[in-house]
Amino acid sequence: MFTTKAFIKKNKVGNYLKHVREHYIRDDISCGLQECETCLPVESFLSPDHENKCSLFTSNHYLILDTNVVLDQMDILEESVIGNVIILHTVLNEVKHRSLPIYKRLCAVIENPSRHFYVFINDHHQGTYLQQNEGELINDYNDRCIRAACSWYINHAPKQKFVFLTDDSANRIKAQKEDIPSYTVSEYVQNLNTSGLTDKLSRKDFHGNDFTKDVFPNHLSNVELLTGIREGKLLQGTFRASRDNFLEGFVNVDSYEEPVIVQGRAGLNRSVDGDTVAVELLKEEEWVCPSEIILEDEGVGDESVDDVVTKENELQKATKKKSGAKPTGRVVGIIRRKWRQYCGILQGGIDGVYQMFVPADKSIPKIKIETRQAEFLRTQKLIVTIDSWPKHSRYPHGHFVRALGNIGDQTTENEVILLEHDVPHSQFSEEVLNCLPKMPWIITDDDVKKRVDLRHLDICSVDPPGCTDIDDALHCRPLADGKLEVGVHIADVSHFIRPGTPLDREAASRATTVYLVNNRIDMVPALLSSNLCSLRGGEERFAFSCIWEMDQNANILSTRFHKSIIKSRKAMTYEEAQLIIDDKTKQDALAEALRSLNKLAKIMKQRRLVNGALVLASPEVKIQMDSETMEPLDVEVKKLFETNSMIEEFMLQANISVAEKILEEFPDCAMLRRHPVPPATNFDPLVKAGRHLGFEIRVDSGKNLAKSLDEAVNTKNPYLNTMFRILATRCMLQAVYFVSGTYQKEEYFHYGLAVPLYTHFTSPIRRYADIIVHRLLAVICGADSTYPDLLDKNKTTELCQNLNYRNRMAQYAGRASIAFNTHGNYKMRKVTCCMSVKTPCKFLYHDMAWNVPYLWPKKAKRPIFLNTMKRTRHKKPEVWLFTLLTPL
Amino acid sequence: MSKNRELLSKIGLRQDGRRADELRRIRCKLGVFTEPDGSAYLEQGLTKVLAAVYGPHQVRGSRSKAQHDSAVVNCQFSMAVFSTGERKKRPRGDRKSTEISIHLRQALTAAIKVELYPWTQIDVYVEVLHADGGIYPACVNAATLALIDAGIPLKEYVCACTASLANNDVPLLDVSHQEEIIGGPTLTVAALPMSGKIVLMEMSQRFHVDHLQKVLDKALQGCKDIKSILDEAVKSHIQDVGSSTGWASTT
Amino acid sequence: MPQKIHIRLAAHRINPSIAVNRRVPKIFTPGQVITEQNEFMRGHGTYEEEGFLKSSVAGVKEQVNNLISIRPLKSRYNGEVGDVVVGRVTEVQQKRWKVDTNSRLDSVLLLSSVNLPGGELRRRSAEDEHMMRQYLQEGDLISAEVQSVYSDGSLSLHTRSLKYGKLSQGILVKVFPSLIKRSKTHFHNFYVGASIILGNNGFIWIYPTVSNAEDNAGGFVQNLEQVVSRPERETIGRLRNCILALIQSKMMLYDTSILYAFEESQKYSVAELLIPEAMVDVAILTQDRLSMLENS
Repeated sequence: MFTTKAFIKKNKVGNYLKHVREHYIRDDISCGLQECETCLPVESFLSPDHENKCSLFTSNHYLILDTNVVLDQMDILEESVIGNVIILHTVLNEVKHRSLPIYKRLCAVIENPSRHFYVFINDHHQGTYLQQNEGELINDYNDRCIRAACSWYINHAPKQKFVFLTDDSANRIKAQKEDIPSYTVSEYVQNLNTSGLTDKLSRKDFHGNDFTKDVFPNHLSNVELLTGIREGKLLQGTFRASRDNFLEGFVNVDSYEEPVIVQGRAGLNRSVDGDTVAVELLKEEEWVCPSEIILEDEGVGDESVDDVVTKENELQKATKKKSGAKPTGRVVGIIRRKWRQYCGILQGGIDGVYQMFVPADKSIPKIKIETRQAEFLRTQKLIVTIDSWPKHSRYPHGHFVRALGNIGDQTTENEVILLEHDVPHSQFSEEVLNCLPKMPWIITDDDVKKRVDLRHLDICSVDPPGCTDIDDALHCRPLADGKLEVGVHIADVSHFIRPGTPLDREAASRATTVYLVNNRIDMVPALLSSNLCSLRGGEERFAFSCIWEMDQNANILSTRFHKSIIKSRKAMTYEEAQLIIDDKTKQDALAEALRSLNKLAKIMKQRRLVNGALVLASPEVKIQMDSETMEPLDVEVKKLFETNSMIEEFMLQANISVAEKILEEFPDCAMLRRHPVPPATNFDPLVKAGRHLGFEIRVDSGKNLAKSLDEAVNTKNPYLNTMFRILATRCMLQAVYFVSGTYQKEEYFHYGLAVPLYTHFTSPIRRYADIIVHRLLAVICGADSTYPDLLDKNKTTELCQNLNYRNRMAQYAGRASIAFNTHGNYKMRKVTCCMSVKTPCKFLYHDMAWNVPYLWPKKAKRPIFLNTMKRTRHKKPEVWLFTLLTPL
Repeated sequence: MSKNRELLSKIGLRQDGRRADELRRIRCKLGVFTEPDGSAYLEQGLTKVLAAVYGPHQVRGSRSKAQHDSAVVNCQFSMAVFSTGERKKRPRGDRKSTEISIHLRQALTAAIKVELYPWTQIDVYVEVLHADGGIYPACVNAATLALIDAGIPLKEYVCACTASLANNDVPLLDVSHQEEIIGGPTLTVAALPMSGKIVLMEMSQRFHVDHLQKVLDKALQGCKDIKSILDEAVKSHIQDVGSSTGWASTT
Repeated sequence: MPQKIHIRLAAHRINPSIAVNRRVPKIFTPGQVITEQNEFMRGHGTYEEEGFLKSSVAGVKEQVNNLISIRPLKSRYNGEVGDVVVGRVTEVQQKRWKVDTNSRLDSVLLLSSVNLPGGELRRRSAEDEHMMRQYLQEGDLISAEVQSVYSDGSLSLHTRSLKYGKLSQGILVKVFPSLIKRSKTHFHNFYVGASIILGNNGFIWIYPTVSNAEDNAGGFVQNLEQVVSRPERETIGRLRNCILALIQSKMMLYDTSILYAFEESQKYSVAELLIPEAMVDVAILTQDRLSMLENS
């Protein structure tokens, strides 16, 4: 059935190692053609019914692709016009090796039956396996394998036609010599009877004004880069472009504490945000300080670079050799591109087929594309991808991928935000929806038997107004001898989402519900999030209860967890609950319970603050939308009631109790949440700002920080304290999920809350981490059994990484949405502010998360948020005009 | 890097082109030496093992080891300096080889009819010439052949095989070194395949009990497959030798 | 003298097998069921389990009336009374020597089972016990006959015949016991000028033919002074190499086969006989002559 071919690989890990691996050549691999009678029948999507309508050929044909075609022309391959494609295993492996995102996209296409793709394992097939010749380059070898597979197909099925597509001219010529019909992709696509496809062709280079003057210096070759890095002459790092200055960027080098500054066209040398680059440090006397000016690329075509030259001079002047110059370098080569797809719009005022694309992300340069539908595209938000950046072109070359919708439409803008933040937001698939319980859903006797019946308790929930996914409810009742029983009841989502189901996988991938200003991207289908799992008032629901016995001083005497059935008496808003508490005339059980809870919460909060928990105000902005036009009407900062912090306290306590419990039972694989202590340097801006305004902010410990923040109050300026707290938030590191086995015990600490252990348990409807915690806890209670992945440390770590990534993105997306809508809100009140660049520099803070710079002139009472989208340059170069976000 | 590699591709082939339930190629030879009483050479994929059996013979050295009711089985495992990618000195009696020696003895003692030869000793020496995953199973299989070559009575063949789990779902048979590195847990099973008795089972790391049964079944199936391959080799060897000697003194 | 050393890759090794297609009896392997019935008696190489008679070794079936046994092609020496063995003394104990005869346990040579110098009927005195090491010491090679088999399988030897006793100058070749063909005599004086003892236990002793048979009487004298002439040594060497050639091809050893091999090997020098091709060639030629003899 098989034979062995061993081959030898040399690998360098300090010294030379010899690797010998087996390679089995098989005789049972099918060609995948439906008509074939000699091969074993195999599942194959190739179908004689599909027709590739290309005018180059008179008859139907199968396509075989070269690796470069897949790598560069993925957007074309994703078009359903092209089908009956044979992907060789050699190609698949090479693609996987070269670009994982492309590989994933290719796999998605291959798995789609309607696309008629088939993977032919040529490297294990006895008829197409070739041995690599000595001294043969791997690329040449792969090309040879691909051609051999083509020839094999042609001989194997003489009745069928096979066409080999490659953009590598050397390979094409060789293939033609071997009588393999071969074409370039553009030849092929241009002859397809479908319009619009040519726009999507990837452009390595635009013909025309080639061979003009080089705009950029050459990149070093790969070998030079590697030797340079090894010998320490070059530094490897990730390039981060500045959002405000298109001629400046930073390279984060591992061995350097501070990022290396790169400036100017030659300094940046075609690097794009996110790329891994090699930099060469300049001599110390050439070092500069980071610029504090804003420069915007105003070029309209890549013919001239004159405007860039003037700006470069301007930049040089601004940054030249003051004290405090930082390491500066220039990019000499790109090690790995991190190009992705970008959202943005077309720049207006350009005619012809060549258009400039302006990405929404300001750290990405404009991209030159070729399109025949510029008129239409100008009204649209588009997605464009970069194909190449030759040295004679001022801008990278790319191609149009697809249009998202009209510019300014709420849906389009949301789409942009979601795409830019990589939020999965497609509809739930049929497969996922099939996992939902059938309606009408009823509680069976069996369910009652397995759960503790708490329907008799006066349970209520308190949430923001308009909340439909209620995942927590509370109760409190007095016990004998003055003790209190307090229960937190969390929606039992893990009852509905069983591990390993498509629903579970989808939720794990989404990780969290994403809240945009006027849209919510659910983690689980609405039936669960807004109905079956939502603890609505007056309805019987499944819950996971955490019940404490407390004394009057809010000391926990005992804790227990169990699954239960509850019936919430009432779903209230914070405001309603507050009114009930304050209304002394109300004396019913619910009101009493709320009052007790409130009292306990105050004690608990006080105790927490004493321990050094930080209160970091991040003003929650509520945007009121016009229900019909969906235009934002007004922005208001959310009002906070006592009840807000009451709910918060009990949720925190529930999380802490659960964290302790699951860590005790699963010391190796409990999912916890940690908030690392930020390094002292992170606080520099805060300390500086404090000193500037006359306050001493101590950051040596969380406790001191909390204390000095409390003391930083200026009676004349009530907003100041909030401002400090916002600033402090920005200095923090992100809190992250982790698996208990992967860190040292001391590192479990949650800095912000000042607790040694923390997890998320209370919002399983909108956070996947909570579902995992629920499952762990259910195992402990004996209500459920484990499954393999739950106990697998590595799997859970992987999951944590995804959760952390999605959470961060969801947070950014939410802020971006608020930012966008607040921008829109002040569109009408155009207040312009003139200022000189030099003086307010010190006050120009950049709010990274909101992506909004703000000014805080000494005399002003509160910061002025600036709308950078709407800034224009005044006649004098130092003066800028900004549209203000906050009215003066 | 290793994250990108998958044990089992979507098409159902492993890195080296095998399917999930296929063994590596096994080649073996009996009677490779003349000095020991029995000897065998076995290749399982690229893992290459030599085994030599001396005995049963009088217990040498300290006589107190001898047992009145059974033979003493003594195993010694060693790896050649050149057996892995990196050439390194492997002192005798390091932890790993001691462990494998003990496991070998456990598996072999279960198969040898030790009760037939009281006061004697059987020495089994195993040397790995090339290690490419599944060292222990290859050693057990080679030792079985060497024992048969030495004419030592066995209850039946004792065979060993590894199995792992790909994509958390599909059991993989007979994992190679590369797959051991990428992959998850490896289950090593030594069994008496004809009666289905398991004589040794070892897991490289923890994995969930839900998967155990199917991985174990796969490994046992592997042992059975190996047994039939070995059986064939033994028969052809016996036929070969028997024909040369003319089935001497056969009545 | 420059010596040629032949080292070759495993891949270039030649197959020494000269198997001829004869009727192949059924081969049993360990664990295989021999028969279902219970009426048979189980002999060596078999065991009973769950009502089945199973094989425990790899070999062929031998049946004597109701007794079924499986004989492995290769195993340690199973002694039988009357066998001629060649062995090496491993230990000197009270009134006995321990002798390694390639069987599972060391054999015993009792002081009472040897002919001491000075007549067969001499009494064994305490002095003799003290003198034991003078007669035979550790490392000495002897030829002997199996006198009896103990219950644990170990052998008791005797040398009470003039042919047995301590061996003097010659070479020892160890082969698998199953390759020695049982015959009436295991002592052969070849006309070519060398003698051979084919021990049933697989130890073969080749030595120069002694013209005066009375000299080795008593068998405890070792004459290491006497120089063996070069032609004699060559003959002995050639005999050894012929035996190696035969066992490489797994051929049975007995006087005729060895003598034929010796005669067929004349076209090679003694040293050349160590080359695998030459060895196979000799084996094939011997095989041919033997089959001619058989068919005639």
